[in-house]
Amino acid sequence: MNPDQLSALQIDALREVGSIGAGHAATALSQMLGKAVAIDVPRIALIPVTEVPNVLGGPERLVGAVHSRLLGDIEGSIVFIAAREDLLALVDMLRSRAPGTTKSLHGDEEALAVHTASILISAYVSAIARMADINLLPSPASFAFDMLGAILEVVTAEIGMKVDTALLVLTRFSEEDMSIDAGLFYLPDPDSLEVLLGRLGII
Amino acid sequence: MTGYDEHECRDLTDGFAVYVGTGKYVVASHPKVLVTQALGSCIGVTMFDPFRHTGGLAHVMLPSPADTAFQGTLDRFASYAVPRMAEMLSEGGARRRLVAKVIGGASMFTGDIRFTGIGDRNAEEVRRQLALLMIPVLAEDTGGSHARTVELHLDTGLVVVRSYLYGMKEL
Repeated sequence: MNPDQLSALQIDALREVGSIGAGHAATALSQMLGKAVAIDVPRIALIPVTEVPNVLGGPERLVGAVHSRLLGDIEGSIVFIAAREDLLALVDMLRSRAPGTTKSLHGDEEALAVHTASILISAYVSAIARMADINLLPSPASFAFDMLGAILEVVTAEIGMKVDTALLVLTRFSEEDMSIDAGLFYLPDPDSLEVLLGRLGII
Repeated sequence: MTGYDEHECRDLTDGFAVYVGTGKYVVASHPKVLVTQALGSCIGVTMFDPFRHTGGLAHVMLPSPADTAFQGTLDRFASYAVPRMAEMLSEGGARRRLVAKVIGGASMFTGDIRFTGIGDRNAEEVRRQLALLMIPVLAEDTGGSHARTVELHLDTGLVVVRSYLYGMKEL
């Protein structure tokens, strides 16, 4: 299904999917940090695949990204993206150290940040699976720390093989003191949209 | 000579840098500098005509469409963009003077086989297209796992590659 052909009702349904997924991820994060975590209403973007690298503040922005592919009844990608400072702040909080203690993202710190992000991704994915009553698992998380445009480009490549327009479900998280600001992207595979919407009864 | 699609290029305030978006290709002449940002698994293909100080830069996203029934824009595919750009630069027998450089094709995420292959497949298709057109590849900076930003200077054909990992590199 070409994302261009989605009706307003279907887009609302996908926003709801994003919102429930992100809600579960936020609960998981809040339990890990012992602090309240807020989420925004998910943004749905229908944009040309070639424009995806320009979202979220420009292609050359240095970010950390954790990516998982969806395995099971539907395909797609989920990416957790945060700026360097936000990842460092996350590590500080998880280790209950004073803000600003962690200075670099190597070895242990990287593993901790990736693992946390991968738990958020799992929470998101299992919420979708339960809601649509399908089998769904995240693939092992892989990490990249580089230009945002290059990261998004890789994630969109597979969609770009099939269609011109990509559908992005974007949710932003922030922790109560606003020291962490991160984003979670869900990019459904165009062929899987029908399955997902069908399972939700919105055709 | 003007770019392929003026709306897709953002001119910097100095008026010299022409930005080439993802999945686009642009042809320009000295004193313009062609720039494309954040190549991950994508490939930057530069072509340069030293006689006329004219050249082109393509930001190729994918090798070729998934199936023949593909309906949509083809600019982001190597199998389309590379020959099209060569054609635009080939006025008056200039094809024989063209030289190419190939940059990018990294695997940004390691550990996922679906993604590690895309950069290599892109680079392969770009090399194949250039060989078909008989355009020599003077230099390559491909592979690895880091993002690259590329500039093509149209006075000498110099290519500057920038990355967070290695800083600046000239090709």
